[in-house]
Amino acid sequence: MAISRSTYGTRRLAIVLLACLLVALFLLPSQSQRLLQYVGGPLGQILSVPLAAFSSIDQGISETWNGYLALQSVHEENRQLRRDIEFLKGQNNQLRESVTATQRYEALLKFTQQSPSQTLAAQVIGRDATNWYRGMLLNKGENDGVRAEMGVVTPAGVVGRIVKTNSTSSVVLLVTDPNNAIAGVVQRTRDEGIVEGTSHGRARLKYIPLLSSVQAGDRVVTSGLTGAFPRGLAIGGLTQVEKSEGDLFQSAEIEPEVDLSKLDEVLIITAPYEDADAAQKLLQEIHGDRKKP
Amino acid sequence: MKFLIYLLLALIVVPFQTTLLHYVSLFGVRPDLGLVAACLVGFLGGELDGLILGLLLGCFQDMLSAGDLWINVITKGGGGFLAGLAGRHMAHMTPAVLTAGLAIISCLSSVVFLYSMNPAGIDEVWMGVRSTVLVQAGFDAMVGAGLYLLFRQRWSDDRMVTEGAL
Repeated sequence: MAISRSTYGTRRLAIVLLACLLVALFLLPSQSQRLLQYVGGPLGQILSVPLAAFSSIDQGISETWNGYLALQSVHEENRQLRRDIEFLKGQNNQLRESVTATQRYEALLKFTQQSPSQTLAAQVIGRDATNWYRGMLLNKGENDGVRAEMGVVTPAGVVGRIVKTNSTSSVVLLVTDPNNAIAGVVQRTRDEGIVEGTSHGRARLKYIPLLSSVQAGDRVVTSGLTGAFPRGLAIGGLTQVEKSEGDLFQSAEIEPEVDLSKLDEVLIITAPYEDADAAQKLLQEIHGDRKKP
Repeated sequence: MKFLIYLLLALIVVPFQTTLLHYVSLFGVRPDLGLVAACLVGFLGGELDGLILGLLLGCFQDMLSAGDLWINVITKGGGGFLAGLAGRHMAHMTPAVLTAGLAIISCLSSVVFLYSMNPAGIDEVWMGVRSTVLVQAGFDAMVGAGLYLLFRQRWSDDRMVTEGAL
């Protein structure tokens, strides 16, 4: 009986305290707010543990549901997305290729505008049919006005010369082929020589005068003495000069300016100088006048 | 009819050789599919077939090569003819025999090319032999043996039919 009385008293006391607390909260909102914050800190810490546990369980359930049980349309969506990725990858590659092609065409166009020669753009469509000649096939032939002995260049420098043509294609003998010979001049010393290919896939400047001061690093350009190329087109840089005792001339190895293994488009020099036709006509007129009595 | 088939074959093989074969080059050397085709047809079909196909292939290859206009005609035609002669005197064609035969004919053909280029000295000849002749002979022999193994069943069936008809 005493116990129940005591319990009853405690309950009453608790009710009174809670009522006081409510009144205090109501009457003193700012102070009560501070108190609640003070008390709420550690409480929040304690609360965070089960909260995190439940949250992870919820996440697990949600992942299980979404990842395993609700996958009816995901497989098809995945396939569609993979197809989209493949398509976009292909499109991206095409665009990149277009960009590089445009850059190459721009360089060719710029060179064509600056060059004193009449040129014709052509695409490389293949390599020589045998392993014995360093040659390339171009997609322009006699129908486009291409003839044997015409020079072939890129904006970087000399590529080679046309050796064979048919109606729709032509064969270029590269500057690195041992059967090719182009008149060249060392840019610094103005010493002339003949550029021939070597069996190692490089080129060599032959017949340099013995007293010439050519050295590795000098650049070789076309001399303009042969009909195919105008003066001053880059052929390459000297890498090694050889002077043997008893020889009448020096020779030097040339690293070609153009990377001949990575050519896509080239320019065929149809006339080395822009006003070649006018010059030819003038010469003919002069000769015609001389022949007249 | 056979001539047309050979013409068609040549029209396929030579452009393939010039445009796509550089992707499978070994040390910068590609197999000479024209020679391989002419020799295979010679070995299996006789010297006349080998000669005709070789001449056709050589003619097309010469048009698309920087070399003289006779050299491929001679080497491919000769190669096909030689292969035909060899095939006629052989009782049993085996892949090993065919590989050896192709390698020999390829070497002979390459030597003609090498000497047509007027090498400056013996050093250049040896360099050509090491860097191109031997590599190409090995490559041609491998490709030829591979093609033979690929189509052997069909060729042996044809032979059986022909022998049965005879």
